[in-house]
This record gives sequence, structure tokens and C-alpha cells, in this order.
Amino acid sequence: MSVGGDIGVWSVLLAIVGSALRVSTPYLFVSLGETLTEKSGRINLGLEGTLMMGAMSGYAVALGTGSPWLGVLGAGVTGAAFGLLHAGLCSLPRVNDIAVGIALFIFGTGFAVYLGKPLVHPVAPRLPDIDLGFWSSLPSLRAALQVNALLIIGILLAPAMLWILHNTRWGLKLRTVGDSADAARALGYSINGVRATATAIGGFFAGVGGAFLSLYYPGAWTENLSSGQGLMAVTLVIFARWNPINCVFAALLFGGASALGPALQAVGITSNYYLYGAAPYVLTLVLLIRTSSTKHRLFGAPSELSINK
Amino acid sequence: MIGAAVWRGPEAAVLTVGAVLVALLAFGIFVAFTGLDPFAVYKVLYLGAFGSRFSIETTLTLAAPIMLTALCVVIPARAGLLIIGGEGALVLGGLGSVLAGVALNGAPASLATPLILLAGAAAGAIWIAIPAALRQFRGVNETISTLLFNYIAIALLNHLVSGPIRDYGQPLKPTSWPIPSAFMIGTIPGLSVHWGLVYGVAACLVAFVVLRQTTFGFALSILGGNLRAAQMAGLPVAALALTAAALGGAAAGLAGAVEVVAVHGAASISLVVGYGYAGILVAFVARQNPLAVVLAALLVGGISASGGLLQRRFGMPDAASTVLEGCIFLAVLGSNSLYGRLRFLQSRSAEVK
Amino acid sequence: MSEPSQVEAARVPLVEVVGMTKRFGALLALNGVSVRLEPGSFHAILGENGAGKSTLVKCIMGYYRPDAGRLLLDGVQHDIYNPRQALAHGLGLVYQHFTLVPNMTAAENLVLGQTHASPTIDWANERARIESFQRNMPFHVDLDARVTSLAAGEKQKLEILKQLYLGHRVMILDEPTSVLTPSEADQVLGMLRDLTKAGRLSVVLITHKFREVRAFAEDVTVLRGGRLVGAGKVAELNDADLAGLMFGRETVFASADRTATKPGKAALEVRSVTTLNDKAMTACDALSLTVREGEILGVAGVAGNGQRELVEVLAGQRGIEAGEVRVAGVHYDRSRKQMRRYGVHLLTEEPLQNSCVRGMSVAENLSFRNFDDGANVQLGCFVRRSVLRRHARTLIQRYDIRTPTPDARLDTLSGGNVQRTVLARELSGTVSVLIAQNPCVGLDFSATSEIHSQIITARNRGAAILLFSEDLDELLELADRIVVMSEGHIVYETPRAAADVETIGLYMAGHRSEREDLWASNA
Repeated sequence: MSVGGDIGVWSVLLAIVGSALRVSTPYLFVSLGETLTEKSGRINLGLEGTLMMGAMSGYAVALGTGSPWLGVLGAGVTGAAFGLLHAGLCSLPRVNDIAVGIALFIFGTGFAVYLGKPLVHPVAPRLPDIDLGFWSSLPSLRAALQVNALLIIGILLAPAMLWILHNTRWGLKLRTVGDSADAARALGYSINGVRATATAIGGFFAGVGGAFLSLYYPGAWTENLSSGQGLMAVTLVIFARWNPINCVFAALLFGGASALGPALQAVGITSNYYLYGAAPYVLTLVLLIRTSSTKHRLFGAPSELSINK
Repeated sequence: MIGAAVWRGPEAAVLTVGAVLVALLAFGIFVAFTGLDPFAVYKVLYLGAFGSRFSIETTLTLAAPIMLTALCVVIPARAGLLIIGGEGALVLGGLGSVLAGVALNGAPASLATPLILLAGAAAGAIWIAIPAALRQFRGVNETISTLLFNYIAIALLNHLVSGPIRDYGQPLKPTSWPIPSAFMIGTIPGLSVHWGLVYGVAACLVAFVVLRQTTFGFALSILGGNLRAAQMAGLPVAALALTAAALGGAAAGLAGAVEVVAVHGAASISLVVGYGYAGILVAFVARQNPLAVVLAALLVGGISASGGLLQRRFGMPDAASTVLEGCIFLAVLGSNSLYGRLRFLQSRSAEVK
Repeated sequence: MSEPSQVEAARVPLVEVVGMTKRFGALLALNGVSVRLEPGSFHAILGENGAGKSTLVKCIMGYYRPDAGRLLLDGVQHDIYNPRQALAHGLGLVYQHFTLVPNMTAAENLVLGQTHASPTIDWANERARIESFQRNMPFHVDLDARVTSLAAGEKQKLEILKQLYLGHRVMILDEPTSVLTPSEADQVLGMLRDLTKAGRLSVVLITHKFREVRAFAEDVTVLRGGRLVGAGKVAELNDADLAGLMFGRETVFASADRTATKPGKAALEVRSVTTLNDKAMTACDALSLTVREGEILGVAGVAGNGQRELVEVLAGQRGIEAGEVRVAGVHYDRSRKQMRRYGVHLLTEEPLQNSCVRGMSVAENLSFRNFDDGANVQLGCFVRRSVLRRHARTLIQRYDIRTPTPDARLDTLSGGNVQRTVLARELSGTVSVLIAQNPCVGLDFSATSEIHSQIITARNRGAAILLFSEDLDELLELADRIVVMSEGHIVYETPRAAADVETIGLYMAGHRSEREDLWASNA
């Protein structure tokens, strides 16, 4: 068994890859959604609440209809409703978007847990796997490459979003509203309307991200389902520099980083487990410190964003 | 201009009370939809919060740390910083107090306990001063960085209590070394509420006087109101912002230390129960006024305290109190848009002051 | 699909504004103003700040709902309730502040706002259209350049191109040249005049500059205090007529008498200061200047050439990359202690943004300089609010600040009264060095002359005054010496007696070839 050491390393790496692919999906959806919202000049810090509401309602719909995909849709619609609530409050004068986000985080989490209480025990149908590792005979590789359709949808969504932002009237309108409210007003755009749409779509994505949690991985509804993926959305977007394509890499990186601790634990390396868990946060902080400056705004950030003023 | 604008006068009070009533109404409608009698729920809500000696004591015990974590939002907000790192500062305060308590083993309690509390406050102060410094000198947005700092603090706590400072005598739940029991603080005479309540109320009173009556508070108001005006007046902007952040962090750190020396006797994940986020809620409901923080913390503490009774009487999930708190937060924020629209209050506030 | 010649396609309508009236509370901002704009004409609307020009434009463009009045296009009445409707009728507005989207390319900005097109953008087709459109235009812009990288004049051209590309045949320009150099302004306005002469466009030019009216407009309407006070062919009116209409009878500048003092020691020295702007690009490049006691040094220049950044350096609002500021011969660290010790005061533009706190009371705003000083403090750290309030009452009376009480929030006061509040705060103490930046922008005539006389009085008392102004007339009236700032450098210097508007304008426009000689001769 001279290759035993090699197999150990490989299985750790494969476990990390597999786990990263799974864990990164909700990250991907919340960050894509938040990118769209922030491109319109609003920041939604409440996606954690939206994510939980999505997870709960998705699970409930899947349970009721027997279709996990209808569950995903239901989660998205719930998320969009939360996005509209955020947008509606923020469109009022003197209402700060960051504060509304924190309020929706508290409200959404509580509401989801409240309404989701009867859902803790029943088992809803799970979203199906896609076996990307079918060509391999290595069981660990096959396990690692067993992914969910939502991941693929998310990855395809990123270039689609980039294309929409640059090649459609609506995309240009969205960027205008996010970059110069004066220009938007001069063009007669409804700033609040555009931002409401962007926040609602952002909420839809976050809701879908939540449905992934309850309907695929971990694949059940519990009160502690989210480990802060929604709260991380804002930092992921900064990490991705407001570029949807970068969101994919950011999500994979964050997924990988949060998979690091459990994967090492699985092969018996248990020390510093929690410190590895903090890796994404430290990484983001380092990135923030490196890219921020008192002398200029964050590069690539929409000019109307409140954290940028 | 951050969202934590400081408003004074009867108008702010009327809007807040109105917002709380609207939130209660919305909550009542919601419970009516779930098939419960809203008035019965209101009654139990009241009974669970303030209806009996026991419920009042529970309310006060829960309100104490929230007052302190709310100050972690209020004081930096005066300097124009929107800090949401109270949860992390509380954790750091707890860890700091445990380390101090263990180090001071054998010292007289009259000396050790104050030092333990001080250590907790200092740990929290440093913890929140770091994001404030990053803001001042690197332009890092303090709201985002303190959010990250919360996660880092919790990871640090988990790491320390599951290894380096773990008490292996506690097999069920990773818990830190305990502080010597002699250093624990007891309850206020005649009440089964620990002394943390007194610290909380005292901190709010001191904060009120400092922010409103001193030159430091005046300078902070200028800075929080308009950074450029503060610079033009030659105020030491960085020092002011860092001091405000450190004072806020100290308050939250003190909350963590009190949780250790009055409740848990050690640090564990039990420190992370959302006091930091409740503090943000309270700070906004109190509209960044330290005196109003006391009242708002009692309200939020009361709602949390009644959660158990709501669960027993109506079988409501214990998240009911979080839902109501969320409603209140949203309603208070929404009421901001009415500020300055209530003419009759406006003219009065100008004359009264 | 492609309409390469939309410029020719749309017809220029006859625009009539009849009896436009707009009231804001007690203030009658616009009082029955009528304007007739013939197709293909170039019409100037002349007036001071606050004469109602912008209100008129906003009523026409649908930003405000007028209280009375009608808008007729080719004789048909149109109710315009929002800017979008105005745009749909072919009315385009070019603001004094650019409304281009900074992080977009010129091409993207041109495509914005098209209403008729499909939801997706066919960039190849779109570019072909823009290019053929640009060929018909007297000026061009690099389509792939991001707006942030364009110079002010280029942005203004792009702004106008955008309006034309959108098919707007009536263009209202609201003080379009305030951010341009004189030569850029002439170029842009000249091109517009050519387009009107060709009958492709009608132009309404909102301005307070006689020169522009005279050089480019055919018709002029003069507003004062919200009323139409005169109108006619430019060719039939001379400058004296226009001034009489625009300023009424109070044209006399009530400035304080300038005493013939000899400038004293150097009070404020800027030594080779380099500083960056908000985009981390060099705003002031090793800039030096000296202001002596009893002297007003005027700094002329087109906005955006580093003046704002230099003021911010002096105000402690911006870092210094290299160089040094000295006050009274010592290093100036911009601390409160030094400000007080050497009597450094500032009058900045837009006080609500730069030097006041909206949410604090008038009394509090008046005490920013001295709330922590001597008699205002008790027990070492407590502010004596009663003393502050008493002090405020005195200042409110002396400087005629109109406020219901000293405790009213500052943002409940009118702009002029906010400015007076700052003036009271900054000039009531001992002023040895005063830095003033466009101190009279947005003020009416009497307030302006009052501030001018205060500045002269401070000078006569021996204060060193550094006055930044975009208004050459103001500089020529007040300054003892004038320097011109361009692209972060001092490029020209002249004593007031020898000042010549044309030369100054040339240097403002970036004329720098003689700079080396200039410094050689000054040294």
C-alpha cells in the first residue's frame, strides 16, 4: 500500500471539490441576486432572511405538491416578495437600505422558523442529482461530481446576466439607475421602479438559493439550515467586484473554503476546524482592506451604492 | 449620511410609539390568520413580559445585555459609523473576561471582579476599534467589516473553547475553563436579576450625559452630522471616531463579561444568542438615544421573555417573538419617512426646546 | 430598422410658453412668464441666480407642475407631467451638471433613453447608426471611451450629441458653459448655432453671461425675481440695456471702501503642494502660492482644475501628498489648535455639504469654532449650552440671520440664511487668514454685496484672504492680485490694476506656453 498516502490526499481534494460544488450553489444564487440589486444602486443586507424564507416555502411547496421544482419556484416567488418589501420600504424618504436589510434579516429568519415549525418532521421530495462523474470508475470522483441542476443553472445564469446588463435596454437602464441617479432622472426613468425590480429579482435568486438548502443539500428543513450564506451575499459581491462571472468563482472559492474544515475533519485532521471555517470571512476582509482606499471609491462599485458614498 | 440619524423631540417619540403600535397591529392580524384570538395573544404577551414578578425579572435579565449591545450601535452612530458588530464584541468580551478570571485566580474577588469586567470591556473596545480604524485609515466600510468580524469572533470562540481553553470536564458542550466561582457576581438585593441590569442602565445614563452635555459629545455630533464640517472645524476626526467605536465596543464587551460572571461562569457558544442583533434593533427603535435605549431594551426584552408563555398557552413557535421584533424594526424604519411631516409636532418641538 | 438620418427626419416645432407661474409656499418663483421660440432660433434666457430661469425650465420639462400657464407645440397645447413626456415631444435638456452615466462608454450613453427600440441592443447595427449620425455632426466623441475618462468639454459635447441622437429638436441648455473653458464654450455654442442656422434645431440658452448672449443668441428674454422684465432681438439691445433689465436699479455694487494698505508679512503659504482628487489622480501639482497680510489673492479658473481640492487641503478635508502649508511662518497641521491660534477661517461653497450639520440647531452650528473654548465650558468637559445660545442670539441679530429661534434645525433655514450663519461663525472671531471659495454662489444681490463688503473689511483689518471664484467679475472687484489655476498649476499671475479679462481667459482655457517665462520673470 505504498500509494496509500496519495489516495488520502486525493480523497481529501475530491471531498473538498465535491463539497465546494454543493456548498457553493446557495452562495452563487445569493451573490448573483445581490449583484443585480447592487447594480441598481441598492444594497440588500437582508438576504439571509430571504434565503430562510425561500428554504422554508420551497420545502413547504415541494411537500404539498410533491414536486421539488415547484418548490424551487415557490421559494423564488417568496424571495421576490421579500425583495419587494425591501424595495418598498427603501423607496420611502429617509429610509436607509442597510437598516431595512438588517430588519428583514431578523424578520425573515423569525418568520421562516415560525411558519416552518410544522415542516421539521415531514420529508419533502429532494431535487434530483446530475451525475457528472458517470465516465469515471472512481467512486469518490463520482460522488464529488454528483451535482444539482441548480448549480448548472446558476453557472449559466452568470454569463446570461452579464449579457443582459450590457446588451439589453433594461440592463443599461439598471446600470444607469445604479451609477447616476441624476442621469436616470434626466432620462425619465423610474428609479424606484427599476430598483424594486432589481431587488425583487435579487430576492427571487436568494429564495432559490434557500430552496437548494432545504431541497438538496443538506436537504431538509431545520431552524439552523443557513450558516449565514445570505449575510455573506454582500461580501461575495464585493469580492466579485459586481461582475456576475466573478460571482461564480467567488462562490466556488467560498464554498471550497467552507468545505475545507469538514473535509479535513473527515480524514481525521480535526485541529483548527473552526479556524478553517472562518477562512472565507478572513479572505473577504483581507480583500476589502486591500481594495479599499480613503482616496477613491471601491473599484467597479456602482456609484449610487450607499456603502460607497 | 448614515441611516442612524439622531432625532430629537416629541416627534421622534410619537413616531416610534406609533410604529410599535402598527407593528403590534400587524402581528395581531397575522396571529388572527393562524386562527388565534389576537387579543388573547396581546394579553399573554403583556403577562409574559410584565404580568408577574417572575416575568418582570426575566424581562429585566434579558434587557440588561441588550442595553449594552445597543450602545455599541448608538455611540458609534453619533460619529457617523453604522456598526453591526455587537455580537462579535460581546463574544470577545466574554472571552476576555474568562482569560482575566482564570489569570486572576486567587486574587480577592473585590479586586478581581472589576478587573474581569474591565478586561471584557477592553476586549470589546479593541475589537470594534479595529473596524473603525480600518474605516478611518483604509476606507473600509465599517458595516460590512463588522459583519465579517461577527463571524470571525464566533469562529474564534468555537476554536478556543473546543481546544486551547477547553474545559474537558464538560463533555457535552465545548466550554471554556470556568472562572473561579468566587468572582461571580450575584443578584440585585430583593430581585432575582443580576447586577448586569444596573451596569446596563448606568451605561445608558452615562452615555446620555456624555453624548449630550460634554464637548466630546458635541464634537461627535458634528462628526456624525457631517464629516467635512468636522474636518473644517479642525476636530481630531480619527481620534473621535475611534474613541466612539471603542466606547461602543466596550459596552458590548461588558455585556459579554457580565454574561460570563453573572450567568454562565464560562465562555461557550451560549454567548451567541443574538443579543448583538437585538441591540441593533433596540438602537434603531430608540433612534440612537441612550435614554430611549433603556425603554426599547425593556420592550424587546419583554417580547423575548413572553416567548415561552406564548408557546405554552397557544403552542406558538418560539420564533413568534422574533417575528414581532422584526415587525417593530420594519415599522420603525418605515416611520422615518413621516419625520418632518407631522406639522403640529414640528412647531411644538421648536418652541419647547 | 435603422434610421441613419433621424436628424433630418424630425421637424423643429414652434414652441410657445404662455403665462407660466409657479409658487413655492409663500414664494412666487415664476410669475406669468411667456416665451415664444421660433423654429430654428437661438434664444437666450438671461437672469441672475434666483431670477426663475431654472424654475421655468423645470416647468417646461415636467419636473415641476406649474400653478398656471400652458405649453404649446406648433400651436397645440400639451400638458407635460413628467420629464419622460417632455422628451417624447422632442424637448431635450442639457444641465449644468452632466447627466451622463460615469461608468458607461460614450456609445452606451448615446443608446440610453431610446424609447422606440427593441428590448435587446444589436451593437453592430447600433454602432453603424451612431457613426453615420456622427458624420453629420460638427463634432465627434470617441465612442469607446468611458465617460469618466472624458474631459469636461468632451462630456458636454457628448451630452449634446445624446440629445440630438435621441431626436430632440428643441434643446434647452441650463448654464451649459459653467464647467467649460471659454474656448470650449465658444466651440460648443458655435456648433449649436450652426445647427440652428441650418434649421435643424431650436436652442434655449439659460445663462447669466452677457458675452454668450451677445455672441450666439438671436433673441433674448430677461427674467428678474420670477418676472419677465424684457425681451427682444439681441442685435437691438446693448449691454447697458441688458444689465439694466437683469439687475434692475440696484446695479451699483455696494462694496466697502478698499483702504490703501501695504501688504504685510506672508500669512498663508502653500509650498509645492501636491494632492489627489477623488479618483486618485493628481489635482494640484506641486502648487505654490503666498498670501500676505492685508491682501486678497484671487484665484481664477474653470471649475475642475484643482481649486476644490486645494480648498479642501486648506480646510483639512483632504490629504497632502507632498509639499507643505505654512501659516504665519510655521508649519500648518490644520488642527483645531492651530486654526484657533492663527485665526484661520473658511467660507466654502455649498455650506450644507461642506461646513454645517443640517440636523443641528442654528446655535450649535454657530458654535463649531468655539464650543470647547473658555467660557463655553464648565467643569472641564461640559458644554454650557445657555452660553452658546446667548452668543448665538447676538450673532443672529448682528448678521441678520432669519430663523424662528436659535434652536431651529439649520436645514429649516433658506439657503441665504444658512450662508449667513456660516459667515457669522467664520467672521465673528479674530480672522487672520480667510479662505473663501465661491462665497456668493446662489445668493441674491444684496447678500452678495454684503459678503463682498465683509471680505473687504476683513482685508482692511489686515487679514490675508485667499479668494477662489469662478466669477471673474467678483475677482476683479475684490482681489488685489489675481492668479489663474489650470490643471492643478498656477499658470498666470497679475496685479489687479494690470488685469485683463482676455488674457486671464486665455490662461483659464489652458494656455500655458508662456508659463516658464512667467515664472522666470516673477522670480
